[in-house]
Amino acid sequence: MRSKFRKLQGPPKAAKHGKTLARLVVVLAAFCLAPVLYAQQSSSDDTETISPVPILSAGLAYNSFFQGGTQHVHPLVSPVVLIPLGQNWLVESRDTFEIDLAPDPVTGNYKGALQKEVDYLQLDYIASPYMTVTVGRFLTPFGIFNERLYPVWIRDLQTDPLILPIATGPSGAGTGAMLRGGFDAKPGIEINYAAYFSTTSTDTPLDSQRMAGMRAGIFLPGPRLEFGGSFQHLLQDDRSNAFGFHAAWQPSALPFDIRAEYARSHTGSGYWVESAYRLSQAPMWHSALKHVQVVGRMQQYFTGVVPDDNLPPVNTHMFEFGLNYYFRDDLRFVSSYGRQFAPQTNMNVWNVGLTYRFALPVGHGDIR
Amino acid sequence: MKSWRIAFLGLLLLPEGFLAAQNQTQIASNNEPASTAKPAVVQSDEDALRAEGEKRFHANCGRCHQAPHKFPPRMMATIVRHMRVRATITDEDMRVILHYMTQ
Repeated sequence: MRSKFRKLQGPPKAAKHGKTLARLVVVLAAFCLAPVLYAQQSSSDDTETISPVPILSAGLAYNSFFQGGTQHVHPLVSPVVLIPLGQNWLVESRDTFEIDLAPDPVTGNYKGALQKEVDYLQLDYIASPYMTVTVGRFLTPFGIFNERLYPVWIRDLQTDPLILPIATGPSGAGTGAMLRGGFDAKPGIEINYAAYFSTTSTDTPLDSQRMAGMRAGIFLPGPRLEFGGSFQHLLQDDRSNAFGFHAAWQPSALPFDIRAEYARSHTGSGYWVESAYRLSQAPMWHSALKHVQVVGRMQQYFTGVVPDDNLPPVNTHMFEFGLNYYFRDDLRFVSSYGRQFAPQTNMNVWNVGLTYRFALPVGHGDIR
Repeated sequence: MKSWRIAFLGLLLLPEGFLAAQNQTQIASNNEPASTAKPAVVQSDEDALRAEGEKRFHANCGRCHQAPHKFPPRMMATIVRHMRVRATITDEDMRVILHYMTQ
């Protein structure tokens, strides 16, 4: 359906817009880099004396979901490779290998196919203290969940927010170029931004959509408050727009955080609000409770004018409560209960599992 | 159709004006002679830098995940560079956090 739509009205305009955007990105990059190149050469100091070493890391998870009375076993491995080159370059990639094992309705045996995805495979050039140029396949910087909270060892609840596919699509990634960075606007106020252009790719597992967009945010390190907005314009199909807002707060006095996102596009709209509290300040049973984290999430999704297979077919809202136990900072037991409300399809969603993450140096590095 | 491009352009160019000015300030401060400081002052500065590093470490890393334990310095250099890109951490935060995490 989508490819037919693209054939009917896509190519001539898309090619024209693609060239214009490509020129725009090149000109902007050259313009933006010029004033800071001199400073970059001059500000090289002893903070860069440690030679970085390549790293192999991975997030692993073994989850068991009970969704509407059906059990799904979901093992996942997500290796991350980081290869620093010189002082200003970084090659980074993350792949995901996962299987959703569910009982066969006839035999009762658990079956599932291995799903492979290249989440990102990108080359970063730290062009200045304020800007990094990225080319390749990158996570779509729309909101904060897809780029920063998605890894299984980071997320507090193992289920995805309902609105996650809005503007990020099924793959959550784009293929093209991106400018991004962060800087101090003034003491106590940091601004971060990302602007990107992605081209169409239909090759699994590198699929992506033709789109351009940006995200900008403000972070106040004092109160640890962050908020921002995202915008995306689809350069294929119906050339629709999507926008969203995000906010996060981690008060320094409490091991507590609250995060929220709102997103809207032609495929639907919705929000999620999630809060987590680590019981490290509990007055009793401190040695045991300091490892425990309590999580809650509330979310709603409203259908849009264009149906999307990756989004719920009807208006849906859901609440979830989770309990996580950190054996170490890289190994934890996760559990949650959620109730999903949708016309004629109310159901419970249970989850228990383990998540683990490791990081190993690869090869040699030296102190210069 | 053009409006979003203008917004795109504006977002990118907005920071550049005062960033160039900030560069000059940073260069000037980097060039200030450190050798004139007395050892006690240097120690005090080191403590302050470490405290600032810890503060920024928790503020920045805690935005997304539980603060991890320290890795060897060469690994930390890579991880901090990765997080600088991933979480759009500022250059100054990256340097202070790297200093703190490699002490």
